[in-house]
Amino acid sequence: MNPDDNRPDPDVLLAQMRLEDARSKSGKLHIFLGMCPGVGKTYAMLQTARQRMNEGVDVLAGVIETHGRHETAALLEGMRVLPRKQLEHRGFVLEEFDIDAVLAQRPQLVLVDELAHTNAPGSRHAKRYQDVLEIIDAGIDVYTTLNVQHIESQVDIVRQISGVRVQETVPDSILDRAHEIQLIDLSVEKLLERMADGKVYLGERAEHAAANFFKEGNLTALRELALRFTAEQVDRDLEDIRRAKRVSSAWKTNARLMVGVGPSPYAESLIRWTRRAATRLNCPWLVVWVEGSRALTPDEQDRLTRSLGLARKLGGEVVSVTGEIISESLLQVAREQNVTQIVVGKPDKPSLWRKSLADQLILGSGDIDVCVVRPLASGEMRTARQREPVSTTVIGEYSWAIVSVFAIVSVCWGAASYTGYMFVALVFLLATVLAAMRFSRGPVLLMATLFALSWNYFFIPPHFTLAINKAEDWIMFGMFFIVALSMGSLTGRLRLREAAERRRARQTSALLSVTQSAALAAEPQKGLAEALRTINELLHASTALVVRENDRSLPTSAHPASAFQPGAKEWGVLAWAYENKQCAGRHTATLPDSSATWFPLQTATSVMGVLGVRFEGEQRLDFATRQMIEAFALQLALVLEKEHFIQAVNRAEILAHSEKLHRTLLDSISHELKTPIAIINASLEGMSDSPNPYLAEISTASQRLQRVVDNLLHMTRLESDVLRPHGDWCDLRDIIAAARQAIGKPLEVHPVKVTIADDFPLVKLDHTLLTQALANILHNAAIYTPEGAPIEIGVEWYAQQSGPHSPLCGSNVSQPAFRTEDGADHTLILTIRDHGPGLPSGMEQRVFEKFYRAPGAPTGGTGLGLTIARGFVSALGGELQARNHPEGGAEFVIEVKRVPKWSAQSSVRSEPAPKTIRTENTEANTP
Amino acid sequence: MTALIIDDETQIRRLLRLALESKSHVVREAENGTLGLQAAVFHKPDVIILDLGLPDMDGVQVLKRLREWSPVPVLILSVRDQEAMKLAAFDAGADDYVTKPFSTAELLARLTAIQRRHGSDSTPNLEVGPLALDPAQHTATLSGEPMKLTPTEYALLAQLVKHAGKVVTLKQLLRAVWGPQSEQQTNYLRVYANHLRKKLEASGLEIQNEPGIGYRLMGG
Repeated sequence: MNPDDNRPDPDVLLAQMRLEDARSKSGKLHIFLGMCPGVGKTYAMLQTARQRMNEGVDVLAGVIETHGRHETAALLEGMRVLPRKQLEHRGFVLEEFDIDAVLAQRPQLVLVDELAHTNAPGSRHAKRYQDVLEIIDAGIDVYTTLNVQHIESQVDIVRQISGVRVQETVPDSILDRAHEIQLIDLSVEKLLERMADGKVYLGERAEHAAANFFKEGNLTALRELALRFTAEQVDRDLEDIRRAKRVSSAWKTNARLMVGVGPSPYAESLIRWTRRAATRLNCPWLVVWVEGSRALTPDEQDRLTRSLGLARKLGGEVVSVTGEIISESLLQVAREQNVTQIVVGKPDKPSLWRKSLADQLILGSGDIDVCVVRPLASGEMRTARQREPVSTTVIGEYSWAIVSVFAIVSVCWGAASYTGYMFVALVFLLATVLAAMRFSRGPVLLMATLFALSWNYFFIPPHFTLAINKAEDWIMFGMFFIVALSMGSLTGRLRLREAAERRRARQTSALLSVTQSAALAAEPQKGLAEALRTINELLHASTALVVRENDRSLPTSAHPASAFQPGAKEWGVLAWAYENKQCAGRHTATLPDSSATWFPLQTATSVMGVLGVRFEGEQRLDFATRQMIEAFALQLALVLEKEHFIQAVNRAEILAHSEKLHRTLLDSISHELKTPIAIINASLEGMSDSPNPYLAEISTASQRLQRVVDNLLHMTRLESDVLRPHGDWCDLRDIIAAARQAIGKPLEVHPVKVTIADDFPLVKLDHTLLTQALANILHNAAIYTPEGAPIEIGVEWYAQQSGPHSPLCGSNVSQPAFRTEDGADHTLILTIRDHGPGLPSGMEQRVFEKFYRAPGAPTGGTGLGLTIARGFVSALGGELQARNHPEGGAEFVIEVKRVPKWSAQSSVRSEPAPKTIRTENTEANTP
Repeated sequence: MTALIIDDETQIRRLLRLALESKSHVVREAENGTLGLQAAVFHKPDVIILDLGLPDMDGVQVLKRLREWSPVPVLILSVRDQEAMKLAAFDAGADDYVTKPFSTAELLARLTAIQRRHGSDSTPNLEVGPLALDPAQHTATLSGEPMKLTPTEYALLAQLVKHAGKVVTLKQLLRAVWGPQSEQQTNYLRVYANHLRKKLEASGLEIQNEPGIGYRLMGG
């Protein structure tokens, strides 16, 4: 076996790291899980929270349901409790958890009881767990409680156990977000005891609950469920740890589950079953919907949308394909996606003349496993299984069919004596085929039957009886019946398929026209307007487009081409959709009270804005339309992104051009200024033997001129942004030596003391900039202090204190093997202290101003030296500060944070790294 | 010694001529790159002083063209003081780099140094001041005393000794000592250079650091 097979997949590790990363940024979710109400989840949560409070954590009780229990209420004392938000709904005042207040107060930890709670209408989110997700995304820790029967994938099992259908559910994916799941367990006897003592539900609810739900059998089963669920979670955590530690034993990434669903009421239970199986196998799963030629009724649309929504919520991948034969399409998808197991519902009742979907799949599956499970229709669906009400158009078609049969039969009755009854049969057939082109299947079949009967009754001799004498007439009658029926049915099916085809073609061409108008327009603004108009026409809706600004903030008004301007309330909804990269507004779970649905314009890399769609009237947003809008949104996002990139490239080009111009200019100026100085200096040197005293003056002046020119050029370079620090490993001793050498004479009259540890590590910095900055400061110290005054240079590290939440700590956990240098959170501090008169008091900051010169300063300075030094240090990413030392003299401090350092000690002594290519004589060390 | 000055500034050429002729050198001049290359062929100078900002072509170009056929020592004399410029010049084969404004005395010293080294290039240089290398044994002696060197230290020292007095760029050192794949690992080089520097401390030999460019071994 290939040994590589056991190596963890880098993608998996990367995903793991990203997850860790995202988790460390977002808050931690701690779930107290129980089997049923009354086991003491809230109590346990409050106790843990009190403990945290004593540790000094800022705790806020967001929402706590005490159910009148005194022990629980007592725990709340002394805790900061958030007042509930008052919402008015149809005259009632409802109290709800106030998420905005939590986000505004930003405590470290929020307690939110009853995760599965459904929020009052008019709240931001439909469900409380969505509030919790937003809070942890904001970096706030959350403690919450949850009963096992509220977990989406467990709903079916709970219904089987207790017969109770749970309405309030939370998706399983939220449990994956949980940092810790703590099971609050209590034996069933104890629980029943507590109930008997009245500690669980108080008042009239106690009896009702005891009679229905709190039966010993139920409770035991629920307890088992909770225990097993927690065990599964622990198992999965273990698996995660195993992955991270590379002690992988079994990788189950090969498995892949697929479930085929339709608009049937059983779909939801199949999806839940698949999710449970996939969780146990620890593998990905997909949900496939095969779109046939038949148009769905509004109720079926609803059911399908809900089922697919559920699949998405549970973390499945949704695939929709079109095809006439469901089993073939399913198998094709399964092969394309490398599915190992197909899940399908058990057929309702056996059919004699048609194979069930399960049978067809089993026959064609080949090496794919087929898993046939017993589906459960969700309770409310049972009533929905009743026949759909027959629409008025269908009734109209039936009456039309009967009337036309009557008319044609009477006309033929008159003509039959001249043409014979065979001709009549052909006329009837023609009428059936023509009708099939207009009517749906039912009326056509009715027509065919009526024609056959009336032909027999009125035209085949003997007349006015259904009896037929001649054998060939019998055959004729039979053939007519079959031909009429099949023609009618075939034509009908053809027409349906054609309609589906047309619908699909319309969608495709719509998408194409949106893409074309937006992407190919010469002027992007006009193109967008054209695209929006196209979308409006296609959907019979009004749309609004909000494009983000270059700094990623939202603008204050929608795109001018929008069909409506969102109001203040809508603006909140669209901002939420933009921030959270999720659909929001009407027909969604988030802020459904608003009048439009908002889709984020999301590309692979960023969100370019939001698209709002507002339908007139009470139209529902079905699956196909939603998919279409999402496709439009993606197209618009891509167009906007392209526009954004083009702009960025243009800007960069202009910048590069101006930079080049600047550099050329700078080069030629520096050439023009420096050459004459060079000539003067060289000439002076040639005359150095001459005793003429004027020469010394010229020499001093030319040196001064040289310094001024140097400083001015540095300043220009600093201000023109041409400066790009280039980090390389350097030794600070070298830098100090180079800086001292650069100053030369003025420094020679001062004793310089350098304090630097012998084992001081190398640092990665741009040494030219640092040398220049240091030289300017030293020069400053040399000329502004009296001759002989010592100058001290000190170099040290300052390691930042790392608290429990510091990035240093976090990164060590998540990426142990990826960092070669040790922690980067060190600050390099360079101090230059002189023993001169010090800085004029109150002027510590002014010394860095351009052309500032201290009063009474000796002539010869430009007032630029320190400005340049500070500019260079900030180009390095550091800070330069000046202050007076308490014991006299000025002190300049260069502080550069997060400097990568590299200590030679460990690596050089232990091994001659990097690998030397001269290995042939490693023992050649002379003794 | 014959020196060729390639510079477009008449005054600079005149000054250099005065300085060089005072040390009894023969001086040739050229005012642009093309003429400079022709003069180099025609006069076979012992050393070339080259400006980078020439009117017809860039000085680095001149140097590259020259290096196609001649190993003559070249000293760059330019106003450009950026590190990138210096690196480009050294990579193209310059022997030394002096920025304007310059000190004539220093310039003359450097010229003599590179010219002398070039003269002895035919036999590999194994001795600098009190330091002597034994390439067969991979050992070194300092004033007759054997030095304690690790193989890497010896390899680095050998490179510096071979080009004594001349700047060896970081890239060249890394490539020669650690191999071409290690060109970025200047941190190791810095550490070993420091070790060598300490071991040579008392001898008067100095490993000079040219910030961002490389190292130069200066004989005592």
